[in-house]
Amino acid sequence: MKRRAWPWALAAGAICALSLAPFAWLVLTSFKSAGQVTAIPPVLWPGGGLELYRSALSRFGLMHFVLNSLLVAGGTTVISLTLGTGAAYALARLDLPGRPWLMGALLLVSMFPQISLAGPIWRMLQSAGLLNTHLGLIIPYVTLTLPLAVWILTSYFSELPRELEEAALLDGCGRLGALVRVVLPLAGPGMFTAAILVFIYAWNEFFFALLIMTRRSVQTLPVGIALFQGQYTMPWGEIAAASTVATVPLVLLVFLFQRRIVSGLSAGAIKG
Amino acid sequence: MALVLPGCGGEAQDPNTIRLVAWKFNNPGLWRRLADQFEQLHPPLKVALEIAPHSSTAYHDLLTQKLKNRSSEVDVFLMDVVWPPEFASAGWALPLDQMLPPGEKERFLPAAVEASSWHGRLYGAPLYVSAGALYYRQDLLEHLRLKPPKTWPQLVSQVKMTLAHQGNQDLAGYVGQFKQYEGLVCNMMEFVWSAGGRALLPGDAGGALSKPRDLKAVRFVRDSLIDNAAPRGVLSYQEPESLEVFAQGGALFMRNWFYAWPILNDPARSKVAGKVGLAPLPRFSGGESASCLGGWLVGLSAFSTKPEKAFKLIKFLASEQVQRRLVLEEGLAPARRALYDDPWVLKAHPHFKKLPPLLATARSRPRTPLYPAVSQGLQVYFHRAISDEDSDLPILADTADIEINRLLGLIKEE
Amino acid sequence: MAALAGPRGERLLAWGLLLPCLAVVCAFAFWPIVYSVVLSLHRIVLSLPGLGAPFVGLENYARLLSEPGARHSAGITLAFVGASTLLEVSLGTLMALALDKSFRGRGLVRAAVLVPWAIPTVVASQMWRFILNDRYGLMNWLVFGGDVGSYQAWLASPGWALGAVILADVWKTSAFAALIVLAGLQTIPRDLYEAAALDGAGPWQRFRHLTLPLVLPALAVALVFRTMDAFRVFDLVYVMTQGGPANATNVLQFYGYKKMFAEGFMGYGSAVSVLVFVMVLAVSLIYLKLVGRRLLRGETA
Repeated sequence: MKRRAWPWALAAGAICALSLAPFAWLVLTSFKSAGQVTAIPPVLWPGGGLELYRSALSRFGLMHFVLNSLLVAGGTTVISLTLGTGAAYALARLDLPGRPWLMGALLLVSMFPQISLAGPIWRMLQSAGLLNTHLGLIIPYVTLTLPLAVWILTSYFSELPRELEEAALLDGCGRLGALVRVVLPLAGPGMFTAAILVFIYAWNEFFFALLIMTRRSVQTLPVGIALFQGQYTMPWGEIAAASTVATVPLVLLVFLFQRRIVSGLSAGAIKG
Repeated sequence: MALVLPGCGGEAQDPNTIRLVAWKFNNPGLWRRLADQFEQLHPPLKVALEIAPHSSTAYHDLLTQKLKNRSSEVDVFLMDVVWPPEFASAGWALPLDQMLPPGEKERFLPAAVEASSWHGRLYGAPLYVSAGALYYRQDLLEHLRLKPPKTWPQLVSQVKMTLAHQGNQDLAGYVGQFKQYEGLVCNMMEFVWSAGGRALLPGDAGGALSKPRDLKAVRFVRDSLIDNAAPRGVLSYQEPESLEVFAQGGALFMRNWFYAWPILNDPARSKVAGKVGLAPLPRFSGGESASCLGGWLVGLSAFSTKPEKAFKLIKFLASEQVQRRLVLEEGLAPARRALYDDPWVLKAHPHFKKLPPLLATARSRPRTPLYPAVSQGLQVYFHRAISDEDSDLPILADTADIEINRLLGLIKEE
Repeated sequence: MAALAGPRGERLLAWGLLLPCLAVVCAFAFWPIVYSVVLSLHRIVLSLPGLGAPFVGLENYARLLSEPGARHSAGITLAFVGASTLLEVSLGTLMALALDKSFRGRGLVRAAVLVPWAIPTVVASQMWRFILNDRYGLMNWLVFGGDVGSYQAWLASPGWALGAVILADVWKTSAFAALIVLAGLQTIPRDLYEAAALDGAGPWQRFRHLTLPLVLPALAVALVFRTMDAFRVFDLVYVMTQGGPANATNVLQFYGYKKMFAEGFMGYGSAVSVLVFVMVLAVSLIYLKLVGRRLLRGETA
């Protein structure tokens, strides 16, 4: 087997290159000077330094898109995990009739097309005065990420040894006490995995953000990047810079926690 | 709401900042310079600019979504000339009549005022206009002692004569905009109008595409123009493609907007500089020359928290001095009549003296609150009708009429 | 706390913990679906507020069936879903086979493959739009070099545009398919391979008779997930083509968005959205019925 390893390594190299090259081109572009961005033949060695980043910050107001995204994605993650943890514990450990149905119903929600929810959610938010607010966007995000969080956490909780809780129960803790004192401290890694995936979802979402956030001051990064217009031509350089800023945190997450992400995705998918 | 970022809502709350959502000019920075001038004239008012996306359709979707969300972050916006019925009927734009001094309306081109009005009230101040016109190669026509064609069949025969005489494979006859998009509606309506047709009956009474005159115009485009006097490629042309062909000396005639003139006469961008003529579009015998009105208006949002201040900006943008700047710096045709006799304007753009007769033939596309949907229907019908030689035209037209009648039926029910 | 002890207390606690989650999901996922169905039975036009919202029964659905634009969009959607999922699952399988071998730096490769998946779809769309630009895009330069005259307007020609959107989707999500297949591959015991090799089975035979049957459940799952996701494509179309040129990329989700939010036909747009929902639901049910039992076995493995 060892002898045959190199063609596979070569294939893996090609896969890497194809996966990374287009994005690398965008990152490279973001370090060019304004004149180099659309040059043909393409300029391979960027000579703009941080010029385009400065321009994206000043002309495009990149920072407030980043802040809005952090706020919305952060808020979604906290709320989704809080609600999801309780639900997952109940589903994993407590005696519930119709458990498979509940799990199935949740899975179904994660498959709902956005368009089927958009009109009603938009009308509900409008009548509640929540359009153009961070909370108004967090509500649909929590809804759509809850199934993922619950599935990941349920599979994680089911794998924790029951004996630990039973000991706590014998100590007179009660179920809730056992959850808070014994299970949660152990559930850190599972919750972290769910948090990463929920955060990535909320950071990247575009459809609801486009409908709900029409005010510039509350728009998130994807909306900003999709609608960024120049007065003269397409500002590709600034788009590249903003895109890099939007993506670098995710790339870091992926390289640091790829094992967790993969296991989280499999919990959501394989066991579905 | 605790979740609103500190410091970010600031601009919106500032009672002296007017938010303008605008369509981009070719001239970078022109909007900002206009805004600066306004700020100097009206302290302490400030203008916050938001530049809209690349296409009129994408801009429409974005702007109407803001208005549906009742976003108070829009005070003043640019409107395409086809939008006022929709914006007025939906309650997104405020009528401006009471704010205008008496007699002001009459200082604008009648076609632009008509386009801005709905049920007798004015919903936009005309900023600049455009219209379809026939560009022709003066040198080639003069060579054969031809005058620019008065009728569409004449145009076709002139194409045949010239091409036969030139024997040049790369020279095409007529280019226009026949891709399936908004520009197709403009191009086709010009044929339909000049045959005496109208696509929609007045007063939202229904579709008229299957009426004989409408059919005649569409059949002419399909049978005598496409693949005959015009290359088949025009079915995928928008304005830039047809301009490119014509500027490279690749066509005898071109239908395009006013903006093409300075480009065609700039030797750096055009091989036909100085060889181009400008004429009203041809007609069918028994019809009248007609061109499609284009251009932009300035509207006032119904959700503005400071309509009086916002109106100052509208008045400024519609003023003679700003419109003169738009001509001089951007080459845009003003909506104010007086500027077509203005010595500065004529000195900078001598061809502007040819525009009033062209603008006199300008007509508005069908006017209805459901224009986006009606236009979609027209685009699909026209494109199918002219791109397939074997299509059964009356059946296609009937189907399109039924669809339009259904849409207009909604308005009548209202 | 003592009152909560015992099975009854436990059940109360369970519902208590579950309630917030269920409330959110019911209020903002299930109710909107029901509400969409309700809206789709009414005539609501945003630019004609005087129309009110009359009940019109199945009128919107009848229109949906007869409207050429809707049928065209349904066709485009099916073409997109078919082409992109097939490409993604086959490419993903190849990627998974490569990643399943052990070599140094495998973790890094796996992370690299995840990058396209993690990139915001809007960013990926702008990236491909830039690469496919007709005058200065990298793609034209790679294909035609300095021959500027033959540069293609990929996103502006009806023949290429759908292909370009499919390409962007395949680039972005093949990795997801790969990871699911990989998880399936890793459940196959290594000694089975060694036994097969001892029996003289070649690499192809081993793949055909050993790997493929055992990895089939995972493949099916990847296919289900990719299919349902492909039905929901929106961001790519919005940024790259706006449904054009000449509606060549006007997928149902974008068509419905335009009807509802650009043209203001809330009722008809809702009927489109219900159609998308039913299609996704049907796919998930068909697949789950086909592979459900194997799936359960796969889970225990």
